[in-house]
Amino acid sequence: MKVSYRWLKEFVETDLSPPAVADRLTNAGIEVAEAAPLVAGLSGVVVGEVEAIEKHGVCRVATADRHFTVVCGAPNVAVGVRAAFAPPGAALPGGRQVQAVRKRGVLSEGMLCSEKELGIGDDADGILLLAADAPLGSDLVTSLGLDDWILAVEVTPNRPDCLSVVGVAREIAALTGAPFRFPAIAVKEGDADIATLAAVEVEDPLLCPRYAARLITGLTVAPSPPWLAQRLRAVGLRPINNLVDVTNYVLWELGHPLHAFDSDTLAQRKIVVRRARPGERLTTLDGQDHELAESMLLITDPERAIALAGVMGGANTEVTAETTSVLLESAYFNPASVRRTSRALGLVTDAAYRFERGADIEGLREALDRAAQLMADLAGGTVAKGVLDVYPSPRPHPRIPLRLERIQRVIGICPPREEVVRILQGLGFAVDEAKEPPDIVVPSFRRDVSMEDDLAEEVIRVWGYERIPSTLPGGSLALVRQPATLRRAARVRQALAAAGISEVITYGFVDPERLRLLGWDPASPDLMTLRNPLSRERSILRPSLVPGLLEVVATNRHRQIPDVRCFEVGRVFRSGGPDGLAREEVRAGIALTGLRSRRVWHAGRDTVDLHDAKGAAEHVLASLGVEEYEVRGSASPFLEAGRSAELVVGGEAVGWFGELALGPQEGYDLAGPVFLAELSLDRLGALPPRRVRYRALPRFPAVQRDVAFVMPQALAVEEVEREIRQRGGALLKSVTLFDVYAGKGVEPGMRSVAWSLTFQAEDRTLTDEEVSALHAAILETVTNRFGIAVRGT
Amino acid sequence: MADKGVGEILKGARGEAARAKSSADLEQVRVKYLGRQGILTQFLRSLPSIPIAERPEVGREANLAKAEIETLLGERLVELKAAERRRDLESQRVDLTLPGRRPSPGTLHPLTLVQDEVIEIFLGLGFAVAEGPEVESDFYNFEALNIPRDHPARDMQDTFYLSEDVLLRTHTSPVQIRTMQAQPPPVRIICPGKVYRRDADITHSPMFHQVEGLAVDRNISMGDLKGTLELFAREMFGPRTTIRFRPSFFPFTEPSAEVDVRCFLCGGEGCRVCKQSGWLEILGSGMVHPQVLRNVGYDPEEVTGWAFGMGVERIAMLKYGIDDIRLFFENDLRFLTQFRA
Repeated sequence: MKVSYRWLKEFVETDLSPPAVADRLTNAGIEVAEAAPLVAGLSGVVVGEVEAIEKHGVCRVATADRHFTVVCGAPNVAVGVRAAFAPPGAALPGGRQVQAVRKRGVLSEGMLCSEKELGIGDDADGILLLAADAPLGSDLVTSLGLDDWILAVEVTPNRPDCLSVVGVAREIAALTGAPFRFPAIAVKEGDADIATLAAVEVEDPLLCPRYAARLITGLTVAPSPPWLAQRLRAVGLRPINNLVDVTNYVLWELGHPLHAFDSDTLAQRKIVVRRARPGERLTTLDGQDHELAESMLLITDPERAIALAGVMGGANTEVTAETTSVLLESAYFNPASVRRTSRALGLVTDAAYRFERGADIEGLREALDRAAQLMADLAGGTVAKGVLDVYPSPRPHPRIPLRLERIQRVIGICPPREEVVRILQGLGFAVDEAKEPPDIVVPSFRRDVSMEDDLAEEVIRVWGYERIPSTLPGGSLALVRQPATLRRAARVRQALAAAGISEVITYGFVDPERLRLLGWDPASPDLMTLRNPLSRERSILRPSLVPGLLEVVATNRHRQIPDVRCFEVGRVFRSGGPDGLAREEVRAGIALTGLRSRRVWHAGRDTVDLHDAKGAAEHVLASLGVEEYEVRGSASPFLEAGRSAELVVGGEAVGWFGELALGPQEGYDLAGPVFLAELSLDRLGALPPRRVRYRALPRFPAVQRDVAFVMPQALAVEEVEREIRQRGGALLKSVTLFDVYAGKGVEPGMRSVAWSLTFQAEDRTLTDEEVSALHAAILETVTNRFGIAVRGT
Repeated sequence: MADKGVGEILKGARGEAARAKSSADLEQVRVKYLGRQGILTQFLRSLPSIPIAERPEVGREANLAKAEIETLLGERLVELKAAERRRDLESQRVDLTLPGRRPSPGTLHPLTLVQDEVIEIFLGLGFAVAEGPEVESDFYNFEALNIPRDHPARDMQDTFYLSEDVLLRTHTSPVQIRTMQAQPPPVRIICPGKVYRRDADITHSPMFHQVEGLAVDRNISMGDLKGTLELFAREMFGPRTTIRFRPSFFPFTEPSAEVDVRCFLCGGEGCRVCKQSGWLEILGSGMVHPQVLRNVGYDPEEVTGWAFGMGVERIAMLKYGIDDIRLFFENDLRFLTQFRA
C-alpha cells in the first residue's frame, strides 16, 4: 500500500525525514519496501493561464508577470483555464529540459503539460487542468503538494489496521513518541430523519455483525477538487468523480471500505443483508455477470441483489453522473465469508482485501461520518439526520492479563514496567493497572492481538528487537546422528560422484505427454495429478526419476553438450499412501549417454553402453554393502527388449537398468542411445544389514589357472560360471571373468569367454597334480554340461 | 694357468672392469674371471699343485683377489647401470607439461553442498535431523500451524493441491508437528527437504529446498534463538558476520522475526545484491505460537520454543553469487560442474 508522507503528517507530528520514518517502520515490522519522492526531476513548472487561443493549436499563456506563445493541440485547452505550464528552462521527469522550439512555423515558448509528462499520473490525453484560483505563476510542485514522498508499505496479513494512513501514523507515533492526532470528524446533519427515508435489515448477523448507513441527498456529481484528485493519484488511485473519490479517500485514510449506492435506484430505499438464493445472479460494477452460490452474502433491496457484501457493488445501483442522492454503507462482514466469495468469483478488490483481514467493527462509524461529511462538502448535498446502525451484539473488548515474567521468559529480556505501559498505550491499548498483573484492553482495530504472547511481541517490537540478548539454549546432551535415510542417500551420492557421474535435481512434477511417451497412462489412478499446476508440463507427480533425467540429457544436448553422465537422488510418488497421502519412495536414478570419459589425451573414444549403466547400478548396491544380487530379465515399455533387466536382492526387485527404447529416444530428440538405471534406496535400506566379519589371510600359496571356452552368444556367462564354481568346490577360491572375445578366429554366433581360476587350500600347499586334476575335472564338467569346447583344443 | 700370478690376474680384471662399456660387457668380465671356467676359479682349483709350503700364502692372496674382484665388479655395475638409465631416460624425453592423468569425478549439486553444510552446522549444535512426506495433508501443513482455511495468511504460501485435503507441502514445518506429536519435549531438530509453492520467476521456483529448525524445552527464549542463529551465520558466511532481527509475521510464531545478515559482498555499504540496504534477508523465525504447542499436546506454560526456516536456494545464491534460481533446476552441466566441493 502506498502512503503519502504529507498525508501522514496530518495525523502525526514527526520531524523525522521520510527515509528515517521508513526505517523505523521497517524495524518495527511494518516493512517499507521503498521510500521515494513523489516526483523526481520536476522543476520550474508553474501555474499558467490560457489567455487566448490565437489560431488552432497556438495559445497565449500567462504566468504572474510574463506571457508566452505556446503550441498545444490538447483537446481540453480552452481560454481561461489554468494549467501546468513548463516555460523554457523548466525540467521534466526523465531529464527532459524544456526549450523554445519552432513548431508548425511558430516559436513555441514552453509547453502545457499532461499528468503523464509531469510524471504524476497516467493521463496523457489532455493537459493537467488546475483550480481556477490556483495562484498564477506559482510553483506547481508546492501548489499541488507534489513535494511529497511515497512510502510503499508491505503490511503483513495480521495488521489490517496498518492498511490506512491513520494506522501507519499511529505506529509512527508509538515508535517515535510524536503526538498522534485522529482526524476531527463532525457531521452537519439536515432536518430529515433517515429513519423515515430508508431502512436496513440484516438477516444474517453471523456473516454481517454490523451494518451502518447514512443518506446524503441533493448531491451534484462533478470531478473532484485538485487536492483530492492529486492525493488519490499520489497513492496510485485514479480519480473518477467527487462521490466515488470520497469513498476511496476515506478507505485510504481510515482503512475502512465504504460503498455508495445511488439511493434512487434502491427499491423502497431499503437494504436487506442476506445470503444468495438458488440461481441468483448479479452483474458487478466491472460489468461481469456472476452466478452466485447460496453461501455468499449479498446486499439486496427487497427486489434484487445490489452488491456482493464486502467484495464489489452491483452495476444496477452504481453511482453515475446523474446521481443526486447516495445511501452510504459502512459495515463489518465476516472475514472468512468475504474471502470465500472473493476467491470463488475471482474478484480481488481493495475492499475484500481489508474485510478478509478484519476491518474495525467500531471504527466503521467514523469512516461513515467522515465520508458523509466530505460528500456533502464536495458535492453540495445534505446529510440526513441520524444513522441506520444494525449492531445487535456489540463485540466486547478483550482484556488480557500481562505478566512481565512471561515477557522475560519468552523473549529473554523485559523492559521496565513503565516502558511496557507507555508502549502499549501508544499503540492504542488501554492498561488497567488496578489489576495485578495489569489487564490490557485490546482496541477494536487490533483483531490480531488475542493472547499474552501477542502483547509480548507488541512490547518488544516497539522497544527494539536489537535489545534482545544473544544467548545459547541450555539443556541436556542427546545423541544426534543423521537418520539412516539421509546417510544412505549421502553415501550413494558420494559413490556416484566419485565414479564420474554428476548430480542433478529436477522438478517433482512432470509432463503427462512425456509420461505417455514413456509408456505410462497419465490418467492412471496410480499417478498423482495436481489440481492447480502452473502448467500442464508440470502437472503430474513423478512416478520415476527417468522423465527428469531425460530432460536433463535433452537440455544439455540442445546446448551442445552431447556427453552426459548424471544421477539424481529424490522421491517418486504414487497414490495410495497412508491417510490419503502418497506412497513416497527415495530412488537413485542414473542416465548415461555419449563418451564414457572426458575427452582427454590418455582416454579412448569409447561411448557408454549397457554395461556402464549396469556397473553404475552395481556401484550403488556396493556402496550400500550389497554384493549379492541376481539379474532378472524384464520388460519395460520405455526400455529396449532384451536390453533391460531387474536387479533382485533377496527375492525382491530393488531396481533395474536398461537401454532407452527408440520411441522415447526420438520423442526427447536425443542423438544417441541413453542407458538408464534406477534403484530404490528405501527398499535397499529395508534389507537386513550386512555384518562385516574379518577372515584370516591365507597361509598357503595360491595357484592360478586360466581357461577360455568357445560358447554360443546366447549362453549366459552366469550359467557357465555357476557350473565352474560348483565343480570347483572349496578349493576354488575365486573365479574372475577377464576376457570376452568374438570375431576373427571365433565362429560366427559364438564367443570366447575366459576366466581366471584361483585354487588354494587353507591347511596345506596344493600340489601341481592336485590342481591339474581339479582343473581338468572342471573343464570336463563344463564342456559336457553345455556342449562347448575349451578354446585352443 | 697356474703360472700366471695372482697379481697379474687382479691387474687384468681391474683393467677390463674399467673398460667395460655396459652391464653386459661387465657380465662377460665376471664370467671371464669368476665364472665356472673363469681365470681366478681355475687358479684356485690349481692350488693343490702348488708346493705345500707356498700354498697357504698363495691361497690367501687368491681369495683376497677374488673378494676384491667381486667388489670391483659390483661397484662398476652400479656405475654402468646408472649411466645406462640416464641414457635411456635421455633418449625417451617426457613432456612434463602434458596434462596429468586425472580421474574425472562427477560433481554434487550445489544445493546438496549447501544443504549438507547447513545440516552439519546444526548437527554440531546438537540438532537431530527429521524428515517427513512431501505430499502432506492440509492439517499438518496449515491447520496444525495455526493457519485456518479461509485465512489470508494462506496467501503467503500459494499452494499446489492434489485434492481438497492433500497438497504438496509449502514448508517443512509439518515435520516439526509430526515430530512433536511423536515425542515429549525437549525437542531439538532440523528438517531439511523439498517444498513446493505455486510461484515461478527468477527468484521463485515452484520447487525449492528448505531447512527448518525447532527447539522446544522448559526454558528457551528468543535470546537463545538469536544466539543460535548468530552462531550459524558466522559459521556459514564467515566469522565477522553480523545479523539483525526484524519484527515480522508468521501465523505459527509469536513473536516473529525476519533475520538479515550484513551484506558480505559490500560489507554493508550497499550494493546491487543487497539492493543498497546493506542487509540480506536470509530466514524467517520466531517463538513457537502457544496454539501450535497446544495442537501437539504440549503445555505452553510448561515449555517454550523457537523455530526458524531458511531457503537453501537463497543461501546458495548469496554464497555463490547466482542471480537466477532457475539455473539450479535446468541442470546445465557447465553450471553444475562449477561447484566442486
